[in-house]
Amino acid sequence: MTRNDNEFQDGTASGSGTTTTDKFVFPRWTNRLREISAVAALGGLVYAVVLVYGVFSPETSAMGYAPTQPVSYSHALHVGAMGIDCRYCHTSVETTAKANIPPTSTCMNCHSHVRTESPKLELVRKSAETGEPIPWVRVHDLPDFVYFNHAGHIQSGVGCVSCHGRIDRMEVVAQDKPLTMGWCLGCHRNPEPNLRPKEFVTDMTWQPPNGEDPADLGARLMKEHGIAPSTDCATCHR
Amino acid sequence: MPRPLISIGLVLVALTLVPIGCIYRARHSVKGQPRIQVVYDMDNQYYYKAQSADDFFADGRSMRTPVDGTVARGDLRAGDPFFRGRVEGDTTFVTEFPVTVDQDLMHRGQERFQIFCAPCHGLSGNGNGVVNIRATALAEGTWTPPSDLVGQSVVDRPVGHIYNTITHGIRNMPSYKNQIDPRDRWAIVAYVRALQLSRNASLADVPADDRAALENLGTR
Ligand code: HEC
Ligand code: HEC
Ligand code: HEC
Ligand code: HEC
Ligand code: HEC
Ligand code: HEC
Repeated sequence: MTRNDNEFQDGTASGSGTTTTDKFVFPRWTNRLREISAVAALGGLVYAVVLVYGVFSPETSAMGYAPTQPVSYSHALHVGAMGIDCRYCHTSVETTAKANIPPTSTCMNCHSHVRTESPKLELVRKSAETGEPIPWVRVHDLPDFVYFNHAGHIQSGVGCVSCHGRIDRMEVVAQDKPLTMGWCLGCHRNPEPNLRPKEFVTDMTWQPPNGEDPADLGARLMKEHGIAPSTDCATCHR
Repeated sequence: MPRPLISIGLVLVALTLVPIGCIYRARHSVKGQPRIQVVYDMDNQYYYKAQSADDFFADGRSMRTPVDGTVARGDLRAGDPFFRGRVEGDTTFVTEFPVTVDQDLMHRGQERFQIFCAPCHGLSGNGNGVVNIRATALAEGTWTPPSDLVGQSVVDRPVGHIYNTITHGIRNMPSYKNQIDPRDRWAIVAYVRALQLSRNASLADVPADDRAALENLGTR
């Protein structure tokens, strides 16, 4: 056995050799370091992808957006408990692209006589007095390069609940759907399950009568009214 | 593999679950922050949108009202009977409908009545809608119960008067002219008349064919 100058034997066994040295000898488990790092790198990559997708997907970042509003107006109380129809306030939803947020005078229809002292309505009373609008915070907001039209959808019998969820249970309005292009197209390609007779569009709990499959009813309505949602780019990007 | 390394590895793996947990939470809760936008593209373009705010105008609104004394094309409201419910050039209310009353108008009136009037006046027009029930229960003393629309006093009103009530309100009832357009107001008036008829009808008013069905109801 040859010995190097700077090797010496002190009787302690280290590593796999019969000789021990002052040099660092990689322990045996490091033989698998290559595999371990390969697995770690692969895992890390998958993890990074999952993380980026998770953080930026609209389901995470856009759905459930519920900004604090200047007045704690509750759809759960007015729509859910008192059964006021959406169109009492959002009057233009059937006839124009935009669904209007009601003016203060609509609130004052009732609130000049009920809850007239409520501190929660302070801002509403002030607004009615001075004519300053209430600065409601926008919840649903498509990019400005997208054209959307409420009237077209309501007149074809797409219910509010298909796109806004159970508004009648929300104390504060929250975005319920992702509002991505994929989501829009998903329905434009397959609208049947979301169609209903026009008179029930604002009904949050409507189900087809006699337990009929919504898709069957939808298919019938599409034929009757010639409904054919377009998937051409120019329908929504004009 | 030495134990400390294994522990560190396990801790690292455990830590990676934290962001996943945060994401899971964000997906299943409501939040006050708008969505994260890395690239804004052309999401927010500088033009006025409906009901948007802008400090260019003194009142802070981007939507403008017509200049005083002007009328937009197609917006001329000529015709007292239709637009004001009054005899042309006079202040007396019309007693005849200035529109043709048919099935379509009735259906429209029913729908609009249930949207705009039923919260206060009730689905049957008896003055006891859900809002009235809740407001009365609060017992604040500021609420006037809505009138019974099928009672004699409203039955005696000319149609033009009811139209005028919707347009301008009456005593404690607010005006609905901004929420309901003139044709729909007439549709509602027609439906109110139908409610009055149905509420004050006797069996003799029911068509002979349907009378038997109603009589059977009583014996069941
Ligand atoms: C009594 C009046 C009233 C009624 C009735 C009403 N809303 Fe609203 N709605 C409002 C007001 C005020 C806001 C703005 C404040 C807010 O976002 O909470 C609003 C906001 C909304 C928004 C969010 C708008 C945005 O900023 O993106 C949606 C969606 C909506 N309403 C849907 C409905 C639907 C669907 C119904 C019927 C089931 C309904 N509303 C009934 C008054 C009303
Ligand atoms: C059709 C009648 C009606 C309209 C229109 C209406 N409300 Fe109400 N609102 C009520 C009634 C009735 C109550 C009380 C309900 C209860 O407490 O039982 C109420 C309660 C409230 C409360 C809670 C007050 C408190 O002290 O608890 C707020 C806030 C409110 N409304 C805001 C609004 C706003 C903002 C609008 C306009 C977008 C509006 N309401 C339109 C009938 C109405
Ligand atoms: C096909 C899907 C769809 C249906 C059905 C629908 N909405 Fe919307 N709504 C949207 C989208 C998308 C936006 C965001 C529009 C934008 O940013 O320009 C929106 C916005 C709104 C807003 C905020 C103001 C605006 O127009 O930007 C209100 C209020 C509203 N919707 C109420 C309603 C009511 C009430 C109904 C039922 C009568 C209804 N919506 C039915 C998709 C829908
Ligand atoms: C739940 C189903 C559904 C969803 C979700 C939906 N649409 Fe539609 N869309 C329809 C139907 C149904 C029509 C009517 C087609 C017809 O009249 O032939 C329509 C028609 C349209 C039209 C033509 C309307 C007109 O007046 O010409 C546009 C623009 C449009 N959709 C845009 C969108 C955009 C943008 C989104 C996503 C934010 C969207 N839609 C989401 C069902 C849907
Ligand atoms: C039914 C409506 C609809 C149709 C049809 C449609 N789009 Fe879109 N598109 C949208 C909406 C909504 C968005 C915004 C999505 C978002 O904000 O995440 C969008 C976004 C985009 C964007 C921008 C993506 C980004 O984030 O920068 C491009 C590019 C685009 N669409 C191209 C197309 C092309 C090409 C077609 C035809 C094959 C098409 N779209 C058809 C609704 C539509
Ligand atoms: C906010 C609640 C409310 C709503 C919504 C409402 N009303 Fe009234 N209405 C009242 C009240 C309160 C009175 C009684 C006024 C008084 O005596 O001071 C009244 C009275 C009336 C009267 C009797 C007037 C007379 O000749 O003495 C008529 C007719 C009437 N309403 C019709 C309507 C119609 C039609 C609608 C739907 C467009 C409607 N109301 C919606 C609250 C309401």
